[in-house]
Amino acid sequence: MAEKVIQIEIKRQSGPDAPATWEKFEIPWKPGMNVISVMREIAANPVNANGQDTTPIVYDSNCLEEICGSCAMVINGKARMACSALVDKLEQPIRVQPLTKFPVVRDLSVDRSVLFENLKAVKAWVPVDGTYDLGSGPRVFPQQQEAAYPLSNCISCCCCMEVCPQFNDATGFVGAATIAQVKLFNSHPTGKVLKEERLRALAGDGGVQECGFAQNCVQVCPKQLPLTEAISDVTRDVTLQVAKDFLRA
Amino acid sequence: MAAPKIIVVGGGLAGLAAVIKIAEAGGNVDLFSIVPVKRSHSVCAQGGINAAKNLKGEGDTTWKHFDDTIYGGDFLANQTPVKAMCEAAPGIIDLLDRMGVPFNRTPEGLLDFRRFGGTLYHRTAFAGATTGQQLLYALDEQVRRYEAEGRVRKFEGWEFLSAVLDTEGVARGICAMDLRTMELTTFPADAIIIATGGIGAIFGKSTNSVVCTGSAQSALYQQGAWYANGEFIQVHPTSIPGEDKLRLMSESARGEGGRVWVPRTPGDKRDARSIPETERWYFLEEWYPKYGNLVPRDVATRAIHKVVYEHGLGIDGQPMVYLDLTHIDRATLNRKLEGILEIYEKFVGDDPRDVPMKIFPGMHYTMGGLWVDFNQMTNIPGVFAAGEAEYQYHGANRLGANSLVSCIFGGFVSGPNAMAYAKSLKAAQGDGGHAQELARQRELNQQLLSSKGKENPFRIWRELGETMTKNVTVIRHNKNIAETEAKIVELMERYRNIDLSDRSQWANTSFAFTRQLWNMLQISRVVAQGARLRDESRGAHYKPDFPERNDEKFLKTTKASFDAAANEPRFSFEDVDIQHIPPRPRRYDAAS
Amino acid sequence: MATAARPDASPSSSPAAHGSVARGVEPLRAGKGNSFLLRKLHSLSGIVPIGAFLIEHLLSNFEALKGPLAYANQVKFLNSLPLVRVLEVCLIFLPLAYHALYGVYIALRGKANVIYYPWSGNWMYMMQRWTGYIAFVYIIQHVIRQRFMGVSLPEHPGAAFHKVQMELSNPWMLAVYVIAMIAVCWHFSYGIWLFAAKWGITPGETARRRFGYVCAVLGVVLAVMGLASIYAFVGPNYKNAPDDVMPAQTQLSMPASRGASLSEGYLARI
Repeated sequence: MAEKVIQIEIKRQSGPDAPATWEKFEIPWKPGMNVISVMREIAANPVNANGQDTTPIVYDSNCLEEICGSCAMVINGKARMACSALVDKLEQPIRVQPLTKFPVVRDLSVDRSVLFENLKAVKAWVPVDGTYDLGSGPRVFPQQQEAAYPLSNCISCCCCMEVCPQFNDATGFVGAATIAQVKLFNSHPTGKVLKEERLRALAGDGGVQECGFAQNCVQVCPKQLPLTEAISDVTRDVTLQVAKDFLRA
Repeated sequence: MAAPKIIVVGGGLAGLAAVIKIAEAGGNVDLFSIVPVKRSHSVCAQGGINAAKNLKGEGDTTWKHFDDTIYGGDFLANQTPVKAMCEAAPGIIDLLDRMGVPFNRTPEGLLDFRRFGGTLYHRTAFAGATTGQQLLYALDEQVRRYEAEGRVRKFEGWEFLSAVLDTEGVARGICAMDLRTMELTTFPADAIIIATGGIGAIFGKSTNSVVCTGSAQSALYQQGAWYANGEFIQVHPTSIPGEDKLRLMSESARGEGGRVWVPRTPGDKRDARSIPETERWYFLEEWYPKYGNLVPRDVATRAIHKVVYEHGLGIDGQPMVYLDLTHIDRATLNRKLEGILEIYEKFVGDDPRDVPMKIFPGMHYTMGGLWVDFNQMTNIPGVFAAGEAEYQYHGANRLGANSLVSCIFGGFVSGPNAMAYAKSLKAAQGDGGHAQELARQRELNQQLLSSKGKENPFRIWRELGETMTKNVTVIRHNKNIAETEAKIVELMERYRNIDLSDRSQWANTSFAFTRQLWNMLQISRVVAQGARLRDESRGAHYKPDFPERNDEKFLKTTKASFDAAANEPRFSFEDVDIQHIPPRPRRYDAAS
Repeated sequence: MATAARPDASPSSSPAAHGSVARGVEPLRAGKGNSFLLRKLHSLSGIVPIGAFLIEHLLSNFEALKGPLAYANQVKFLNSLPLVRVLEVCLIFLPLAYHALYGVYIALRGKANVIYYPWSGNWMYMMQRWTGYIAFVYIIQHVIRQRFMGVSLPEHPGAAFHKVQMELSNPWMLAVYVIAMIAVCWHFSYGIWLFAAKWGITPGETARRRFGYVCAVLGVVLAVMGLASIYAFVGPNYKNAPDDVMPAQTQLSMPASRGASLSEGYLARI
């Protein structure tokens, strides 16, 4: 029986300013392989399809169970997590490239720190008084928990930003993930105390208004966050806040 | 006096908990993490976090939590810190609740609790099936807040290489590598806290994340820190084997009626569904008629292991058995198990409602770790440790949902203790050893870069994982362990002949990995030899040749220290603190 | 501090030393700038007054189905509104110019990617931009040619029908009008849907879907009305309408009967 081979093409770039090239690999197939395990095979035997020695692929990964958010990349044209991209379900040759909206560090590894900066800018936290024992937290009814929990599942993979036509250098749009976190923290009984600040932040340049409602975010989100609903709700709150501020000025 | 400067290495629950305590107390923190801290391995925890809040009217107490933990750990854990942890747990849950963790709720708006293994009480608070993720995010957010205030500087994408020790062996900082520029830098600190998680990578594939290599612990061990109870490794009975890693399949699959079986014929190539009942071996039901598929974790793990490796009956010759839910109707499955079935579907590609799942025990948790005193300080002054990276809360076996509480508690203890230590620290002599450590690490990098052998580091790693998984996990025979020890020595020899296929000095992940690999080999020896020396069975450590627990000889903490001259571990044993609960037999077959 | 504080730009010996990579999308400029106001104004102006004007315009055009005189009367009525020139500038020209120019600015900054993500919402996103471009070009020529060139209709409402008819007699122009009519109605009805979604009126999935049906019906109705009006100009009913159906402009009021008879006479001629 001829050995089954996986054809994969990977866009490589040795550094942020280096030119990008596509490199082809042929990797022996094994059952249950995902894109990560293909790249591990390459690392263990770094030879490309032309038989030339090459270097292992550089990529971000950690948990490999779609919960840490590290391994987002563009696979066969779609932004997704490489760990849950099963080879048997992909058309070959599999074409893998880094996320296109984020600066490439090397190969498939990109710099997504903008999301963390955005989370800082909207104060995405509950400002507790301190970590000493202050008794139980506020009561939260199951309905509230059920509304908050899906938003809290965001893994910061940045896929929603990658696929958003409005997230780019020109707009500097904040992206759906951050807006969803604003909704999450604004709905928390204590997190609410910063609600106005968060809304004002989101009325800044690159804020909610840049959303074009293409709804790609909600389609691509690997954790199925209700992103469009969050954008809708938060934009309403931002608008009301801006109006309120205008009238009270 | 200037505010103390503390370095925390590792941004999981323990590390972040420590950072928060230090920042809150007015200290300055540099937080180092290989990955952005929000991507740390703590996100993988699913089930929940234990605390005896007694909100279910069951009369649960922190003492009972303490007793369950000690009993579950087969009396190997020092009792004083465990007691303190169990007493602090309810307050920790309250704090997390206040930080906004979306814990599941009762209709009255209070915290809901579920039952977990190893206890009779509803003691586990949970946030859906992603409790670890929710907890990590809550702490991450608090740290981000301090970061915005300028109290915390994050060094994400930096790898800890070693502690900087002065001439008296006191920690004065760390040496770290920027994983982009690959540059080495030393950073001064008055104390450092190591919270770098487990060591799953030495087993090749485990349920751990990619960064859980144990490299930091191993580096410190090679610098003189003691490594304790290394041989205690928890193996979860049902994980989903993958080409890249093992993913957990929750115990609830069996709880809802899942049956474990293998084909009676070795190497049976038929499709699972076409194998008739008479040719299936439901070995758990046959061996344990009373508990059937719901035998305790360690028993199930050993049974599956035995069927595969001793009877040679793994599916298609692979180390896997079936976990079958197909006899249960779809509606029931969807109602009760949808979330976990989707995980299987997503990562394996088969629908477990139609096809039996293929599962196998998988290395899951590192009970052992850096030896620490009750203040969480290692034997190196100024080096503290917390979380899975240290050894002190779980003894010989960890109870489900105790890991999250131990991480946070460990962080909360180590942070303030590091501050207190730092405040009384005398100024360093000279440069505190920074120049020397930097030179030593540069030399190590140079050696690697100039090595012109032919060994691929990833293949060495694979072989390490194979031998460790085969001989030093579920069932341990001294002969086999000795084989593994010899294999590790061989791999270390081959490592000296390594070939870096990538020698560039920009974001070179394989170079960083190769550095970690040496540390993995070193810590593997500690685990293997520790296992060989412990001639008894206790908790997760099981030797068929010594099937009983031997308190007289082995109610002791194993302590490994590195003999640099001989390049191998030296072992000693330390008495366990049993002042609160006298040891009693732990009956696996009768325990719930 | 959130404005420009890229991690690469933090103080020395901190993550600054971390190898810097090419700048990507900048973080949120929290609370800074006016784009929120400008964008909301753009969104609002599309509904009121431009949307309202569009409906008015389509309804007026619909009068053409009743013939040149009815159409002339409608034109005349509109021009008889108090402060009509002020209204025209403030409620039509300025908002339209703002909506058009800012709209082009918005569209130019978006990077459509339906090739990779051919999902319905994404198609709509792209269509909204393309229909906007079409409307932009169309309206410029429409205003120039129909409002400012040729017979001035405010003064000669009776010439309206003929003027349009002449324009549409060119098959190329007819095609332009048909395409633009559909594009504008599309742009407007999807614009209403977007307005509801983005202003938080329809946050829920189901609400959006239901309102989508409403907007679709509205869009189809408007487009059909518009196309029917076009048909009135090019169809067989009013072929070769006279240059001016109200030549006696000085006569401020024209009896309805006379208008009717005129129309009948006109019909009789064909």
